[in-house]
Amino acid sequence: MCDGGCKGGARGRPNMAPVYPKAASYPEYAQLVNRENAQVDRRLFVDEAIYQAELQQIFARSWLFLAHESQIPSPGDFIRTSMGEDDVIVVRQRDGSVKAFLNSCPHRGNRVCMVDAGTKARGFICNYHGWSFGIDGGLRGTDGKVYEKDQAFEKAQIGLTPVAQIDSYKGLIFGTFDPAAPSLLDFFGPFTFYLDIMLDNDEGGTEFIGGAIKSEIDCNWKFPAENFVGDILHAFWTHQSGAQAILGAGVDLGKRYDELAFQASVYGHGIETNLDKVGNTRTLGYPELVDYVYDLSEKASARLGDLRARAIGAISSCTVFPNFSFLPGQNTFRVWHPRGPGKIELVVWTLVNKNAPEHIKEAYRKGVMMTFSPGGVFEMDDGENWEYSTRVNQGFVTRQQPLHYALGLESTDLERELPGHIHKGSMNDANQRLFYTRWAEFMEHDNWTDLQNGDTAPPQKSVKAAE
Amino acid sequence: MMIELCDSADIGEGEIIRVDVPGCPAIAIARHEGALYVFPDRCPHADESLSEGWLEDGRVVCGVHFAEFELGSGAVHNPPVGCPNLSFFKCEDRDGKVFATLTGGPEHV
Ligand code: FES
Ligand code: FES
Ligand SMILES: [Fe+2]
Repeated sequence: MCDGGCKGGARGRPNMAPVYPKAASYPEYAQLVNRENAQVDRRLFVDEAIYQAELQQIFARSWLFLAHESQIPSPGDFIRTSMGEDDVIVVRQRDGSVKAFLNSCPHRGNRVCMVDAGTKARGFICNYHGWSFGIDGGLRGTDGKVYEKDQAFEKAQIGLTPVAQIDSYKGLIFGTFDPAAPSLLDFFGPFTFYLDIMLDNDEGGTEFIGGAIKSEIDCNWKFPAENFVGDILHAFWTHQSGAQAILGAGVDLGKRYDELAFQASVYGHGIETNLDKVGNTRTLGYPELVDYVYDLSEKASARLGDLRARAIGAISSCTVFPNFSFLPGQNTFRVWHPRGPGKIELVVWTLVNKNAPEHIKEAYRKGVMMTFSPGGVFEMDDGENWEYSTRVNQGFVTRQQPLHYALGLESTDLERELPGHIHKGSMNDANQRLFYTRWAEFMEHDNWTDLQNGDTAPPQKSVKAAE
Repeated sequence: MMIELCDSADIGEGEIIRVDVPGCPAIAIARHEGALYVFPDRCPHADESLSEGWLEDGRVVCGVHFAEFELGSGAVHNPPVGCPNLSFFKCEDRDGKVFATLTGGPEHV
């Protein structure tokens, strides 16, 4: 009953403060990663409830890759990307900092930015009722003829929902929706030691060139992420014909360097490398790139030390948990955006050193397109495998059968003074086991203290070695 | 009749300020290349404040839907649908004070 104080059904004013979701605990999902027997339950790749838990536990909490600084150099420059399934706008501010917002109007939810990227934006205007937001996300105005006359309208507390924390590491900008998440550096831990192979091998720093290539693959996001975290094994088989076409010879995983090869993992982030100097770079098919990387690796040993200098162009791959991956030497950087349990949107960029000569940058751009674009020889090889690895699990009986992740159970390397969990040889499931262990930690723990002190946390000796 | 709005020193080059005159709707004053411009602090598109916008290339830019109005002529560029031109009040700088004719409706300088 309305007794005179009726507000059309409302009892108070709206609270438009951002809402950051709370994490829960799903021990029943965590158990699907069988750490005793190195097996993974296939429900991880098809189950809708598990997928929703991933969005809550992993994508709403982890630091996720947003952009390279070079993509948005000036105030108002922006790109649109995703964090999990959440659409976000990343914008350079007038003071040079970077902010990111949910790309959704707080009025009726419409997208406020429709394009993929732009420069010098003045702001973002919603198409539905004309609410207008500054590049700082604040509501700048609506329709003064209507709202200014409404005494109860509180413009100041309305804005696009900000991504809770933004930070960058050597050119790469990351964000998290969790105000309680530890710093980006803590999230990486000593894994930065390995990121620097690509991000800090030259004094001028890095940049992305030539825009982004987007595609869709009908696979679960974890298959590509685990592939890059430590599955070089597949290259022998999957990429044999592609490699023969480009190199005129079979896949060479740098046998001569077997002794040097290793896998390293910290908090589920992982890299595998053969330290063979140019094995990955060779597959791009441009001899001048191989010369460039040989040179670079000579020079870089002063910055990075001999071991990491050998890794710049080597047969290798890397994933930053959960879904940001790259290939040293091939210089392809990518995010596997989840789009439901059975689909991803893949966005791929090419990273080069700013100081590299123009013809080298151009060779990287072309080389990456020939190999790691939707029509590239290697990307096509991989995509089909990941699609079938996902799709077969629609079979009810099929998905009761656990998967085997047990290569290299006895390969722990306690000798080598390198950060993280080190395993001998690059053909090894160790990093993938640790990737799924990290996945399980995110499912299990509702707080960062537990998350940062579980099995995937760096062993103490490694922390010391990194310092 | 011209009325006094403020000290002309209050308006820096390239700035727009808002002045509240008792009994009148809010007024905006801008300075571009030394010259002063006085106009209603109300965008002809949807009544939002123009003093919260900015000057760019000799135009007042509304910060809400980005209509642009030429200083002087008031001609609109980049108009949201249905946005008319802006009108300016006649104004003068008299011994360091800004005077403008606010009665009788806005007119061009
Ligand atoms: S939904 Fe954006 S203005 Fe209404
Ligand atoms: S209110 Fe100024 S352009 Fe819409
Ligand atoms: Fe592959």
